[in-house]
Amino acid sequence: MFGEQQRFVLLLIAPAALLMLLFQVVPIVIGANASFRDWALYNPKKTWIGFDHYAAVITDPAFLYVVLPNTFLFMVLSVAGALVTGLALALLLNRPFRGQKLVQTILLVPLMVAPVVAAIMIRWIFNDQFGIANVVLEAIGLEGQPWLVQRWSAFCIILLTDIWLWTPWFTLLLLAGLQSLPKEPFEAAAIDGTTTWRVFRYLTLPMLRPVIVVCVVIRAIDAFRTFDIVWTLTGGGPGRSTELFSLYAYVLAFLNLDLGRGSAAAIVGGLIILVLGVVMYRLVDRIAKA
Amino acid sequence: MPMVTRPAFLPGLPNWSRKTFFALALAAICFAFAFPVLWLILTSLRPESGVYYVHRGTEFTLGNFKEVLGQERIVEAFINSAVISTLATVFSLLVTVSSGYMLSRFTGPAARMWFGTIYVFRCVPYISWVLPLYFVVQSWGIYDTYVGLLLPHIAVHICFFSWLMKGFFDGIDPSMEYAAMIDGCSRWGAFIRVAIPSALPAISALAVLCWLFTWNEFLFALILTGNRVPVITVVMAQFVTEMGLHWNLMAATAVMALLPAFLIALFGQKYVIRGLRI
Repeated sequence: MFGEQQRFVLLLIAPAALLMLLFQVVPIVIGANASFRDWALYNPKKTWIGFDHYAAVITDPAFLYVVLPNTFLFMVLSVAGALVTGLALALLLNRPFRGQKLVQTILLVPLMVAPVVAAIMIRWIFNDQFGIANVVLEAIGLEGQPWLVQRWSAFCIILLTDIWLWTPWFTLLLLAGLQSLPKEPFEAAAIDGTTTWRVFRYLTLPMLRPVIVVCVVIRAIDAFRTFDIVWTLTGGGPGRSTELFSLYAYVLAFLNLDLGRGSAAAIVGGLIILVLGVVMYRLVDRIAKA
Repeated sequence: MPMVTRPAFLPGLPNWSRKTFFALALAAICFAFAFPVLWLILTSLRPESGVYYVHRGTEFTLGNFKEVLGQERIVEAFINSAVISTLATVFSLLVTVSSGYMLSRFTGPAARMWFGTIYVFRCVPYISWVLPLYFVVQSWGIYDTYVGLLLPHIAVHICFFSWLMKGFFDGIDPSMEYAAMIDGCSRWGAFIRVAIPSALPAISALAVLCWLFTWNEFLFALILTGNRVPVITVVMAQFVTEMGLHWNLMAATAVMALLPAFLIALFGQKYVIRGLRI
């Protein structure tokens, strides 16, 4: 029925496609179905209620004024922070110096640390009674802070943990990108005595742009769905003030035991990131071709 | 041919001060990156009485590790995590290497559609499909089993790794495969005997990444497992709330969770850096 080539192509992707169908497509369909039904425990009939859950989610002040702004702020700041630090470190590692291998290994350390472990470490460092952060602050005569029970300090700590975790990822990919750039333009610039800043601004940055954009897109999509470090660091608290979108959906489904509402929230978030993803993909395409 | 030198770092300063500044900056950066881990290790070596004043006192002990290893649930969690990570790596690679190869070597509607699908599913937040997956897995009777955690793990890697594999295969000249096929190799022969061996560095890089991702993963394990298959990340997250005061034990568990990842990454770093150079 198929030619030899078609059969080969289909067989190559068949296992992947089957797994994706069973473990991604099927759940998404079931989740979509659940989001239109009253899934509460006391209602065994799971009545069809149309868009009620969606209406409830997008009019929920907690979602509109806390969770969404938190998520976007987190996404932008985390990606920007990790990109700038990662790029700086990649540039640093790209020039030869003694001990370069050692420095590189140390800088890649966060890449191996599980987000949960990172969150535990940071929680201990910023512990309000015995954490080293407060000990140091008090030693230099400042007041210790209950870091994780104030909204903005907790948010900043989550953000810093995320940047710490993901900077090496940027460093790794950007370093790989830097090392594959052609040598000639840099040699020409060196002969002309161009300053470091101008070399960076007019040579390195434009040539590295495709790699940077791909990294940013991948990372932005991932940052949008951050869950583990928030869960372990603050659990969304104090109150619900540091909840990000994934946590919001999780809490609705598994703590409030309302799978319908939780699925609706997850789908709303999924749609937002899908639109963002498509826009960003267009952007990548245009920049990569330019 | 004139000597080509790199533009100077901080021009205008005498050489020695530039060097000192550079070294100090490097040391500061390394310290900032390593500090949380170092602090964790230090905490894990302190006795119960010293843990609240880690920065003071000179008593050190390995007792925390002994106590943690005496807890059945933690040991079980370590074994489970290791088994699941290893199996997930093997199966993910089997699935994604071929899918990435297809994306790289074929053009046309099928390849474009598959690429589109992968990109779209890569964007879907985990929570959107792991949430209902809980019910799927329960109705298939694989909730809280190895299979029930393993298969979703393999599925989640498909998108990203197929994408990376496509990049790797794009960088490999296909003319060798054509030559092999002219010499009488089948398409499968060309794929398995020619393409895969030349992509081996990239595949090892993926293996390292895949193992680490699975070992470190939290959300799936939190939702898809209960008491029968404890996994190390979930067990630790429970600890934070349950044993909130025993930071020495907490730190010892965390250090042990770091150890295998460190070893794998230390030996695999070479492959990852070489493999990611697309």
